[in-house]
Amino acid sequence: MKTIIGKELLDHLRSVQFAVLLAASVLLFAMNGLVFVQHYTRLRADYQKAIATVDQQPSTTMTRLYRQPSPLQFMAEGGEKSSPKGCWLRPKLTLSPLPAETVNFKMPDIPELDWAFIIKIVFSLYVILLAFEAVSGEKERGTLRLVLSNPVGRLRLITGKYLAILAGAAIPLAVGLLVSLLIIGILLPSVLSLPNLARVAFFFILAMAYLSLFGFLSLLFSSLIPRSSVALLVLLSFWILFAFFIPDTASIIAQRYSKVPSEYEMAKLVGPTLQNEVFGRVRKVVERIKKGELKTEKEARDEADSAYEEGQDIVRKLYDDYDNDMRERAALARRISRASPAALFEYAAEAVSETGPTAEARFFRDIRNYSRIYDDYILKKVGKVVGTSPWSFSMGTTVNGKYVSLESPWPQEYQGDKSDFPRFSESRPTFLDGLESGLWDIASLLVWNILLAGLAFSAFLRTDVR
Amino acid sequence: MLKTIIKREILEYLKSAKFLIGLAVTLALAAGSTVLNVQDYKGRLQDYQSATQEMKNDRFYIHLYRPPQVLSTLIQGKDRKLGNSVTVTYLDIPSTTSGYMGEGRSQRRRLVSGFAAVDFAFVVRVVLSLMVVFIAYNAVSEEKSSGTLKLTLSNRVPRDQLLIGKLLGGWFVIMGSLAVATLVSLILVLSHSFIAFGAGEWTRLLAFVGLSALYLTVFYALSLFISVLVDRPSISLMILLQVWVLLIVICPNLGIIAAENFDKLPSPEQIEHQKDAAFQPYEAEFKKVEDVFNQGVQKGEVSKEVSIRNIELWATKANLNHQVDEEYGRKLTAQTNLAQAISSLSPAVLFDQAAERFGRTGMAGYERFMQEVYRYWQQHVERTKLMYTDHEAYNKAPAIAFNIPAEPAAEAFAATWLDWLLLAFFALALFALAYTAFLKKDVR
Repeated sequence: MKTIIGKELLDHLRSVQFAVLLAASVLLFAMNGLVFVQHYTRLRADYQKAIATVDQQPSTTMTRLYRQPSPLQFMAEGGEKSSPKGCWLRPKLTLSPLPAETVNFKMPDIPELDWAFIIKIVFSLYVILLAFEAVSGEKERGTLRLVLSNPVGRLRLITGKYLAILAGAAIPLAVGLLVSLLIIGILLPSVLSLPNLARVAFFFILAMAYLSLFGFLSLLFSSLIPRSSVALLVLLSFWILFAFFIPDTASIIAQRYSKVPSEYEMAKLVGPTLQNEVFGRVRKVVERIKKGELKTEKEARDEADSAYEEGQDIVRKLYDDYDNDMRERAALARRISRASPAALFEYAAEAVSETGPTAEARFFRDIRNYSRIYDDYILKKVGKVVGTSPWSFSMGTTVNGKYVSLESPWPQEYQGDKSDFPRFSESRPTFLDGLESGLWDIASLLVWNILLAGLAFSAFLRTDVR
Repeated sequence: MLKTIIKREILEYLKSAKFLIGLAVTLALAAGSTVLNVQDYKGRLQDYQSATQEMKNDRFYIHLYRPPQVLSTLIQGKDRKLGNSVTVTYLDIPSTTSGYMGEGRSQRRRLVSGFAAVDFAFVVRVVLSLMVVFIAYNAVSEEKSSGTLKLTLSNRVPRDQLLIGKLLGGWFVIMGSLAVATLVSLILVLSHSFIAFGAGEWTRLLAFVGLSALYLTVFYALSLFISVLVDRPSISLMILLQVWVLLIVICPNLGIIAAENFDKLPSPEQIEHQKDAAFQPYEAEFKKVEDVFNQGVQKGEVSKEVSIRNIELWATKANLNHQVDEEYGRKLTAQTNLAQAISSLSPAVLFDQAAERFGRTGMAGYERFMQEVYRYWQQHVERTKLMYTDHEAYNKAPAIAFNIPAEPAAEAFAATWLDWLLLAFFALALFALAYTAFLKKDVR
C-alpha cells in the first residue's frame, strides 16, 4: 500500500498540474491574506470608533448597536460586506439597519477571494485534474493490466490512488493556508488566537472532506469511462453544475416558488395599513371627541396616544413579518442550493468562521435580549416605553374650541444622569456552537463522501482492466 | 482539397463523444437558466407595470421606476442587482436607486447576496468556452502522437491548407453549437406573449451573438496554438485548462483587488464634509429663511417671497449634494474602469463588459436612468415653485414625462469598440502564432 501511495504521489508531484496548483495556491492565498489584513484593520477601526461614539451619547429615544467584524472573514466572508454594520434600536424592539460598508456597486459581481472560494472553485477543479485519469489513463496506457497482474488487490490499489490524490491536493492547500496565516500572523497577530487556530484547523479538515468528494467522483468516472478526455469532460460538467449552476440558480428558484410578495407588493401594503390601522383608530378617537365623550385635551391626547401605539404595533409587525418572510426565502434558497456539495462546504465554512446568516441571526438574538434590558432601563428612567415604527403621524382636531394636533407619541429623552446606561455586548459563540450550526452541512458532506466512495470502489472493482 | 479537410474535420467532431456530451450540457444549462430568467423577468415586469400605473399624480414624494430589461432574460448583467426605484422630492435627489423590483440595493440585499446570475451569457462564457478547449486541445497534438500527421503530410497536402482546414472545421462546429444554443434559448424566450423584441433588441442580440462568436474564437485559437506547441495531448489539455481557470475565474478578481488598492475612494464622512462645504455660502441665509418660513406656517401666513426662496434654497442644497454625489459616482466609475483595464487580458472580462452593454443590463443603462431622474427633478422643482406664484397653473400642470431615452445600438458599438478590437486582436495573434508554429513544426 505504502509503495502504491508513494508511487502515485510521486507521479502527482512531478506533474504540470501539481506545479501550477502550488503556484496558484501560494499566489491566491497570499492575496487573500494581504486583502484581509487591510480590510479587517479598517473594519475594526470603524467599529471601535462607532462604539466609542455610542458610549458617549447614551439615549433613551434610540441607540445604535454595532456588530463586531468577524476576525475569521478570511476563511469565509459569508456576505458580511453587504450586511448592515448594526442596527438602530428604539424602544419596543423597533429596528432599522445601519448602512453596510460602502462598496463600489458599479464593480462587476465577483465572489470574494476567501479561503472557501479558493477551495470551492479552484482546488476542486484541480482535484479533478489530478484524478481524472487515475484509472482510465492507466487503462489507455495498458499499465493497469500490468499492475494488477502483480499480487496487488484492486481495493488496495484504488485506496492507494485515492490517498495519493488527497495528499496531492493537501500539500499545496497546506502551503497556501500557511502563507495566508503567516501574513495575517505577522501583520495582525491578535486574529490568530488559540480558539481561532482551532477553527482554522477544523476548516482544513472540512476542506479535505470537500476535496475528497471530488476525488471519489473522479475515480468513479475514471473507472466508468474508458477514455480519459471524455471522463474529464463529464467531471467538468459536474464541476460547473456544483460550483456555479445549482448555487447560483437557487435564489431565483426560491423567489419563484416561495409565496413572499415582491418588495414592490410589500410597499403597496404599507399605505392601506397606515390608513386602516393607524388613521382608522385615531379617527375613531376624533369622532369620540366630536361626540363629546372625551372632554379635556388630556383625555383626548391619552386616548390618541394609545390608539397610535396599537396602530404602530401593527405597522411594525408588517415590516417585521416581511423581513422574516424574506429571511425564510433566503433560507429556502440556501436549502435548494444544498443539492450542491460546493454550497454545503460554503455553509459549513461560514459556520466554522462565524460569518453568514447564522452569525447574523445570533446578533439579532443578542439584540432582542438587549432590547428587554433597554426597555426596562427606559421604564425606570422615563416611566413610559413608547413604541414607534418607521413612520410618525399627526391629525388635527378641535377640543373645546381649541385646535389640537394629535401627534403619534415619540420616546422621551431622559435628561438626568445616564451613567448606568446598559452596554450592549455580543455573545461569544464557542467553537462547538459553530459546529452545531454547521452540523447538517458537515454531515451531508460526509454522506456525499460515503456515497461516492461506495460507487467509486464498486465501479473500480467491476471495471474491465483489459 | 481544403473542402475535403474541413468536411473530414467536421465529421470527426460530430461523431466524437466529447462533442455530444458538451453540446448536451450546453443545451441543458442554456435552457434551464433561460426558463428561470424568463419567469424572473415576468415577475419584475408585472411589478413595474403596476407601479408606473399607480403613481402618476403624486406631487411631493415622486416614485420613479427603472424598467426591467427584456434582454436580461439572456444577459442578466446587473439588472436584478441594481435597484429599480427612486423617490425624489424637491428637497432631495437620491444618489442611488433602492430596491423595489428585483432584490438589489435594498436593506434586504444581504439576504440574497452570494447568489450570482446564471444566464445565457454565463453559458457562453464558461460552458461553451470549456467545450471549445475540449474540441481543439488535441487538434494537432493527437495526430502527431498517433502518427497520422506524418502520414497526412506525406500526401500532397500543403501544411498551411491542413491547418486552415483544421481551423475552419473546428470553428464551424463551435459556431454551429453556439447557433443551436442561441436558438434554443431564443425560442424559450420568444414563446412567451409578454416578451416582444423590437428592432433595437434584434440588433443588440445579433451583436451579442457576434461577440460570443469572437470570444469563442479567441479560446479556439488559443487551444489550437497550445495544441501545435505541445506534443502530448494530455499535457496540452492541462495547460489549456489552467489558462482557462486563470482567465475566467482568477483574472477578474485580481483586477478588482488591484484597482481597489491603487485607486482609493473617499469615505462617507469625506463625502458629507464636501456636501457641507459646498452649501456653506448659503447656510446662514438658509437657516434664516427656514426660521421665518416655519414661524409663518405656525401663524398660518407665509409670504410668497419667503416660500419661493425656501424652495429655491432647498433645491440649491439638493442640487449641490447631487453634484458631490455625481463626482463620487464618477470616481466609482473610474475605479471600475481601472479594474476592467487591469484584467482586460482576460477575454471573459472583455466579453462580459460588452455583453452587458448590448443587453442594456450594465451600468450604462443605469446611468441613463439616473440622468433622466435629474432632468425630471429640475422640472419638478420648477413646477413646485408654481404652487406659490400661480396656484391655478400648478393645479393644471400636467404630469412631468419620465422617459429614459433608449440607447441606439450604434452607441453601444461605439462604447465597446475596444473590447471587440482586443478580442479580435487576441484571436488573430493567437491564430498567427499557431500558424507559424505549425509551419515550423517537426511532424515526425
